Amino acid sequence: MTLSLYVPGESPLHRLTPGPKLAGLATAGLALVLVDEPAILAGFAALALALLLLSRVPVSQLRGQLTTTAILVALVVAASVWLDGWREAAAAGLRVAALVLLGIVVTATTRVSDLLETLERLLAPLDRIGLVRSADVALAIALVLRFVPEILAESRAIREARAARGMRVGPVALVVPLVVRTLVNADAIAAAIEARGGPRSPAEASHGLQESRKKAVPHEHP
Amino acid sequence: MACKRAARKPFRMSTRDLVLIALFAAITAAMGLMPPISVGFLPVPITLQTLGVMLAGLMLGPVRGGLALALLVLLVAIGLPVLAGGRGGFGVLLGPTGGFIVGWIVGAFVTGLVAQRTTRVGSWGARDLAFALLACLAGGVVAVYAIGIPWLAVVTGMDLVQAAAGSAVFLPGDAVKAIVAVLVARGVQRAYPMKLR
Repeated sequence: MTLSLYVPGESPLHRLTPGPKLAGLATAGLALVLVDEPAILAGFAALALALLLLSRVPVSQLRGQLTTTAILVALVVAASVWLDGWREAAAAGLRVAALVLLGIVVTATTRVSDLLETLERLLAPLDRIGLVRSADVALAIALVLRFVPEILAESRAIREARAARGMRVGPVALVVPLVVRTLVNADAIAAAIEARGGPRSPAEASHGLQESRKKAVPHEHP
Repeated sequence: MACKRAARKPFRMSTRDLVLIALFAAITAAMGLMPPISVGFLPVPITLQTLGVMLAGLMLGPVRGGLALALLVLLVAIGLPVLAGGRGGFGVLLGPTGGFIVGWIVGAFVTGLVAQRTTRVGSWGARDLAFALLACLAGGVVAVYAIGIPWLAVVTGMDLVQAAAGSAVFLPGDAVKAIVAVLVARGVQRAYPMKLR
């Protein structure tokens, strides 16, 4: 698994902070689903293509995503021609192409860490009113990134163990041990996080640990 | 509305809940990245990713299950290739099938809600199996399609009936996954009983 779909670069789009890019993407997304006129949609598709060129991301890096997009657009156009006729098909194809290309451009030119930082800022108001805790979100994301490769390795081991005994690997035989192992892991991981005073540990919840740390510091370093 | 059950305590999340949410998001991501698997009578191998949606609801309940899938959608949005075939990023979310992915959040929640209200923990009689299957179909199929199909219609300019007809090809696969999800949940809860929330 490659770590992210970000492609490093020096283009103006790479230098732009995530905020304007996300705002632009949201605005364009809304406009694209509201507009039905093929000419305007063609303008958006051309804009998306221009931005892709401006980002100077090598096409070789995007081959997989662009191929999928092309297949998707072809499918949508084919279905739309059959159902509604050429004008609607052109609108649908251009709309899908523009939406997906704009999304690809933003994802390819924005670092995961920058997006996370923006996310944290967006969550801050919710954090203040106690609806979301951004420390939780950060920890949860870190845990997923840490455990996806682990779970993939375990699923490979389970498949190989079954294959070595000449058995077919059905989905139930694969997923049951995978989930059980994961649940057993969860207990150990939760204990480890609490032992280190993680975001949801009882010590942190009562503020006991932070208070005692503050008090302890002057004594440790007089 | 009067409720016969004792008033449930508001959801207070513990470290273990947080870890379970993250691990089920990771399992669902991993299911999309595994090679597709052949299931039952279906002619083509399918990815197990939507199985993760039903499983999160069945095993974690509505709140934690829904949060697990919300976390996965968040990872997609920040550009991580965690969807089937290593896809991800805003391109997928904004595309014609984006609604099916965002719909997973509601799908896991609904699966968990129905399962929590109808099945008994640790009991897997015919009645509980039937209700668990109903929960998976209500959440993993009805709720997900209820968001995915209008989204598909808006993005491609089709009308709802056409979009629904186009989505119907995935029904056999999703129905099989609902059965698999119930069998997996039963297998797991026999080895490791846990309470839905």
